[in-house]
Amino acid sequence: MSLIKFDKVSREYKVGDHEQKALDNIDLEIEEGKFVVILGPSGAGKSTLLNLLGGLDSPTSGTITVNGNDISKLSNDELADYRAETVGFVFQSYNLIPTLTVFENVSLVKEITSNPLSVNEMLEEVGLADHKDKFPSELSGGEQQRVSIARALAKNPKMLLCDEPTGALDSETGALILKVLLSMARNYKKTIVIVTHNQNIAKMADVVIRAKSGHIKELINQDNPLSVEEVDW
Amino acid sequence: MLFKKMLRTIWHYKAQFISMIFMVMLGVGVFFGFQCEWFSIEKNTFYFYDKTGFADYRLVDESGYSETDLDKILAIEGVDKAARYLSVLTNEGKENETVSLTVTTNEEVSGFLIMSGEEYDASSSDGVWISDQYAEKNDYKIGDEITLKYNLHSITGKIKGMIKSSEYLICIADENQMMPDFNKYGYVYISPLMFKTMMGGIEYYPQINVLSNLDRIEFCSKVNEALGKTNLILTKDEIVSYAEAQGEATEGKTMASILPVVFLAIAILIMATTMQRLMINEKTQIGTLKALGFRDRKIVKHYTFFGLAVGLIGSILGIGLGYFIAWFIFNPNGSMGTYFDLPIWTIYFPWWSILVIIGMIAFMTLISFIATKNILKGNAADALKPYVPKAMKRWKIEDSKGWRRMKFSTKWNLRDIFRHKARSGMTLFGVVGCMVLLVASFLMMDSTKGFVNKFYWGSMNYESMIILSQTTTNEKAVEMASYFDADYCSSSSVSLNESAISIDIYHIENDYMKFLDKNMNFVKLEDNGVYIGQRLKQENNLKIGDELTIAVYGSDITYKVVVAGEIRTLTKGIVLTENYAKEAGIAYKINKLYSSWDTKKINEDTTYSNDISASKSKSDIIVSFDSFMEVMYTMIGALITLSILLGVVVLYNLGVMSYFERYRELSTLKVVGFKDRRIGKLLITQNMWLTIIGCVIGFPLGVWITDILLKALAAEYEMSLMFNWMTFTIPVIVVVLTSFIVSLFVAKKNKKINMVEALKVPE
Repeated sequence: MSLIKFDKVSREYKVGDHEQKALDNIDLEIEEGKFVVILGPSGAGKSTLLNLLGGLDSPTSGTITVNGNDISKLSNDELADYRAETVGFVFQSYNLIPTLTVFENVSLVKEITSNPLSVNEMLEEVGLADHKDKFPSELSGGEQQRVSIARALAKNPKMLLCDEPTGALDSETGALILKVLLSMARNYKKTIVIVTHNQNIAKMADVVIRAKSGHIKELINQDNPLSVEEVDW
Repeated sequence: MLFKKMLRTIWHYKAQFISMIFMVMLGVGVFFGFQCEWFSIEKNTFYFYDKTGFADYRLVDESGYSETDLDKILAIEGVDKAARYLSVLTNEGKENETVSLTVTTNEEVSGFLIMSGEEYDASSSDGVWISDQYAEKNDYKIGDEITLKYNLHSITGKIKGMIKSSEYLICIADENQMMPDFNKYGYVYISPLMFKTMMGGIEYYPQINVLSNLDRIEFCSKVNEALGKTNLILTKDEIVSYAEAQGEATEGKTMASILPVVFLAIAILIMATTMQRLMINEKTQIGTLKALGFRDRKIVKHYTFFGLAVGLIGSILGIGLGYFIAWFIFNPNGSMGTYFDLPIWTIYFPWWSILVIIGMIAFMTLISFIATKNILKGNAADALKPYVPKAMKRWKIEDSKGWRRMKFSTKWNLRDIFRHKARSGMTLFGVVGCMVLLVASFLMMDSTKGFVNKFYWGSMNYESMIILSQTTTNEKAVEMASYFDADYCSSSSVSLNESAISIDIYHIENDYMKFLDKNMNFVKLEDNGVYIGQRLKQENNLKIGDELTIAVYGSDITYKVVVAGEIRTLTKGIVLTENYAKEAGIAYKINKLYSSWDTKKINEDTTYSNDISASKSKSDIIVSFDSFMEVMYTMIGALITLSILLGVVVLYNLGVMSYFERYRELSTLKVVGFKDRRIGKLLITQNMWLTIIGCVIGFPLGVWITDILLKALAAEYEMSLMFNWMTFTIPVIVVVLTSFIVSLFVAKKNKKINMVEALKVPE
């Protein structure tokens, strides 16, 4: 059964006097537990797709169903609940709260989630148990991104949505982050959707979606995705 | 192109720009307005004194001065002009209405300005020139007849002109009346010729008024030498129309030097912070311009203009607001108009206040200049880097159990406050300032009201005050006191250290007059010495047990008295009991009775009518108290309104600044799944913490500043700090409520957070 279903989804933005279609009549289904990579050039609509899926934005028309629930017509508060319970985000720029320690940044999700995972366990998993009392500014970029992953997973969400998670990192650290991300997602049986420019990441995905000008040009199911180590970074 | 960019930048930061301009406008407006207020009082009154020949010195002798005495005074080197003068309370035929009959032998001394009607004619045998305000209130017109009664004499004249005299600038019958009431009391001038006719050919002038630039000691010595005796010489500082008017100006000056300066300081500091933060927000744009090849000088010029524009626009609006505030307090139709009877009401500003404003504009410009210069330090690559606030450091307290148990929102807010110290400090400063202004305003109001209330409702327990004729003997006065169920008093002036002070000798049997000690508690006068007022105490550095030597005017007699206690009085002087006066051998003449009878009954009873010069009911005096409070309420009301307004602008400005600076963090929380209400609560909580801390600091600070203010005003009023639970509750409620509403308003912006932005890498 598909976890995510886009049914004739469009998203239009008003730019000046005219409407601009960021997504145009998209149909898409993603199964639970899959690792999905969305590729495409700038303006292809991939970030819009991720935002709609994450409940950060709502479609102009069409329906988005996640885990059997239509999220396209939810109110602001219902969307907040959806983000709190169903979605874990990993951003390119980490977006950690600078005034909270590593531990507190991850613990933050306990304030809003009904079924969170152990914060200490998450920090162990990402290898930052020894840094839990540090502030984000005391960590490297890679370490900050690992905190971000721990925070996303600590919510115990259905899926992880990642927007260019390795975009701000060097290739070695990027590979490490992907390894952490993938292994944790597999361990905890989470669906991962990654938006990226990086073609190499696509080699590791179960599903690769190529977007262009607001349309899905191609959807490829890869039966034998490569592991992080197998990809030439 | 840069100009277009500048306009768009201003539009982009419109909330900050508008609030900065508003803050400057309020700061400058209150500062400028209050400076204009006292300066206008000074300028307008001095113009009036000058035009009407307000006397510098007054020689007083109840036995009267002759033409020869006047010639002797005029012969003194340094005396410019002099006139024999009389001002006595007369009944004008109507019940409860008194008029001061005034005569000057030289209209250039203690004269008047004609507002309408005929010019003054010194040879007129029937002309009466009447106070225009009294005439208006009592429906007198030019050509009307008016009958004046003074002791056993009476005369009827024709009103020739409507006038204003600076001798009656504050037109009150005696020191017990706080505010003029032209319905009940006014003044008229008649010619010396008409006065002589009225008095049956007798010339009686108990005063010589003098215009002279000589200093007091020299003048007194020359006068005493010329007349061959010690004279009671009053300087203009001892005359209500001068002392109270200048006191009002001094009061305005004192208030203007404290509270509006606090206002201006808050506005400048918060504006400087806002401007600096705004420049930081523009860092990458400044860096981009530098990277593009714009010279530092051009970029600095471009951004410095922001500070200059805000300072200039705000100041121009502020000067307008200042004029309005000054006019609001100082205008003939406002509360000040009920106090001063001035011919002109022009608003003047002290030249240096413009210098202060120019200095402030320069400061604002300098802030923008320095902020831009700092960003431009180093190379273009440095300038291009986005601003990064200080990294957090771990506090020792974080190892404690209590800290660990704290909610995330508490930790977040605590750390945020310390991370953005300047912004938090300014918010705190704004709240403290607002609280100080409100507490000070309310305390001023309560202290004045409390003092006057206690003085009038507590001290004065009589129904009417009877002013006795000059011919009434002490024996008769005692007889009258018994008849009218009254306590009595002898009020006169003596000299202490070459300065005139009042001496009030009381005989209290019925407690119709009570006295307040320095702590505003009632005190019974004992027969063991004199009681000194607070002003006398301060000016002469006196304490209980000190021996004073007082001199009687018109003779060489001196008395030694001991200070037995301190009281609070409306006049600068000493108070003692009749028994102590007798013991000290002080000669006195009873001239006032404080009776339980009402004025109607007194006026209807003819038993002692020849011994009564005038009678005033307590309720008339209370009316003047209400008018006095109205002046106070106007000033305090203006301050309270503007304080709240400043508080709103300051808190909104800092709230918006805080919101924009935390935009990314707030977006993250929202993306993670926090609801708008929860995020709003976070923002409100921080503001409320700072507000409560601000209240806690601002509260005692406000009390302290008011105490300073009251001490500075002690030269005019002998008030002490008085308050009730409302004094403190209202400012706290107002500040907390203002802060809460403003925070709520800012927190509502959460709904507009664009979460998609949070996913983007900062530019």
